[in-house]
Amino acid sequence: MICKKVAVAREQLIDPVAAEWKNVPAEPLKMDATPLANQPSEYIKASRDEKQIGKIRNLLVQAAHNGSDIFFRLTWEDESQNVDITDNNLFPDGCGILMPLNGGDPPIDEMGSKDWPVNAWFWRADFKDVARNTIARGLGTTQFSKQCPIQVKSTWGNAAWAVVFARPLAVPQQQSETVQLEAGKSVKIGFAIWEGSNGERAGVKSFSKEWRELALEI
Amino acid sequence: MAEVSEQQKQQRAKELASELKSQKALLKKSKRQLAMVFDLNKCLGCQTCTIACKTLWTRDEGMEYMWWATVNTQPGKGTPRDWEKMGGGFRDEEPQAGKLPTRRDFGEAWDFNYDEVFYGGKGNSVHLQPSGDPDWGPNWDEDQGGGQYPNSFYFYLPRICNHCTNPACLEACPRNAIYKREEDGIVVISEERCKGYRFCTEACPYKKIYFNHVRQLSQKCIFCYPRIEKGVATACARQCPGRLRFVGYLDDENGPIHKLVKQWKVALPLHAEHGTQPNVYYVPPISPPRFDADGNIDESKPRIPTDYLKYLFGPDVEQVLATLKSEMAKTKAGGKSEILDTLIVYEWKSLFGPFTKDPATLEPRKV
Ligand code: SF4
Ligand code: SF4
Repeated sequence: MICKKVAVAREQLIDPVAAEWKNVPAEPLKMDATPLANQPSEYIKASRDEKQIGKIRNLLVQAAHNGSDIFFRLTWEDESQNVDITDNNLFPDGCGILMPLNGGDPPIDEMGSKDWPVNAWFWRADFKDVARNTIARGLGTTQFSKQCPIQVKSTWGNAAWAVVFARPLAVPQQQSETVQLEAGKSVKIGFAIWEGSNGERAGVKSFSKEWRELALEI
Repeated sequence: MAEVSEQQKQQRAKELASELKSQKALLKKSKRQLAMVFDLNKCLGCQTCTIACKTLWTRDEGMEYMWWATVNTQPGKGTPRDWEKMGGGFRDEEPQAGKLPTRRDFGEAWDFNYDEVFYGGKGNSVHLQPSGDPDWGPNWDEDQGGGQYPNSFYFYLPRICNHCTNPACLEACPRNAIYKREEDGIVVISEERCKGYRFCTEACPYKKIYFNHVRQLSQKCIFCYPRIEKGVATACARQCPGRLRFVGYLDDENGPIHKLVKQWKVALPLHAEHGTQPNVYYVPPISPPRFDADGNIDESKPRIPTDYLKYLFGPDVEQVLATLKSEMAKTKAGGKSEILDTLIVYEWKSLFGPFTKDPATLEPRKV
């Protein structure tokens, strides 16, 4: 997967419907259900059927950087727009991007490990234009960091979501909390989608079950 | 990346399952267990307990619809509506799928026209009423009960979280946010770890966990642990005018809880078939007699169908009722009954085991 070098300002690329995105290659990803055996709850294992998990199976990913900021645009078809948690039994749509925090080869289907943490960029429809920077060291351990260097914008129309994440390539003041990126290098990357209408939350979601290599153009 | 074989996957799944099991075992561990006994023969349905809890714990924003302590008329739909039909708990140790009750099922917090009636000068012309046209609430089917006149019947069932020994909520949480306090077995949710996923509410067969829509996390009865830590009984128990809410440690052989539950075996858990080992126990209600077709009293059949009580409290309820009746016969004949003396509660403080301190005598908390 290529992260294309572009000469476009953050203000433009952060817009999910900006014309500039037409010039950025899109990578279609097949998504899978998270394995039931990895759910950190016997209740979840017993009460769900793996076949029903991960309603969204197709994701389009675009990645670009302009030398200082990196951008991801995630688009997927979704007929039901689930935004606010207006009742106890309602769940919002969401998406996330996963990268090893300090390199290495952490298990993607276990949210990293004690020694090899992962960094997730997380957005949920009810957060509106707020993203969360998350660190995990194994199943069920995700924690939001206090500061979030990630900006997000989303739109839903024609039965599809388009979500753009933006972040400075390097965030030196948060080295221990968020992955450091650099043009010319590559990074392992994965993605997840939560379909609210299917009661998806926590580890119940669809995900790209293997790491992809994302190469950042010089 | 090397292809992972099916065998390796299964091996890893086993490792994860056993790690999870040992984590959960730690979270479930407690040295002692606090418990309550509610004597249903004495409950007035006055809701003082409900309000005591509300005013103490659930007044913040997002908690409007929460009632950690509830009292419902039985038979009835309960709170949340039809909670007994929502699944959860365990069968043969396997967790069972459960449903999430809606806010309407719990009963929305209604808005009343207080301003208009009390301060708006309309005290003589407008009724105090909720806005909108509510068709359900936490005590909606009060006093409807069951049976046909002249043999209609009902009783009140107070409920709180049961602080189960094998909590379905704790087992369900994928973030290990729920644990039993080691010193007293109170089940609490760490607000730091909870992310509001609500698997706990799905799994709890008693539907005693609420979702806070403002803070986006789950909240439940805390057995008044800040009071317990100071030797003060729970607010619901101290405020109850019916003297029926016993508080204490299950293993305290001198306390009323141990005697009622373990020694005399006259208090039973509610819907124990869900396998969570609840720590709230009930002295079942003794029925008045029925009237026969001619209007004569028929002592042979209880007004409250025994099958209904068995449905709530299990098969042992028959033995409990037999014990209570024979104790009553004993006192009628001039004898003494330690069981009845305990249940009568001559001394108010005898309800509270070691938790007899008056909260008004405590030092105010330093803020
Ligand atoms: S009653 Fe429900 S919430 Fe309370 S401990 Fe038992 S399972 Fe958990
Ligand atoms: S305060 Fe006591 S008598 Fe009144 S409803 Fe609650 S348990 Fe029953």
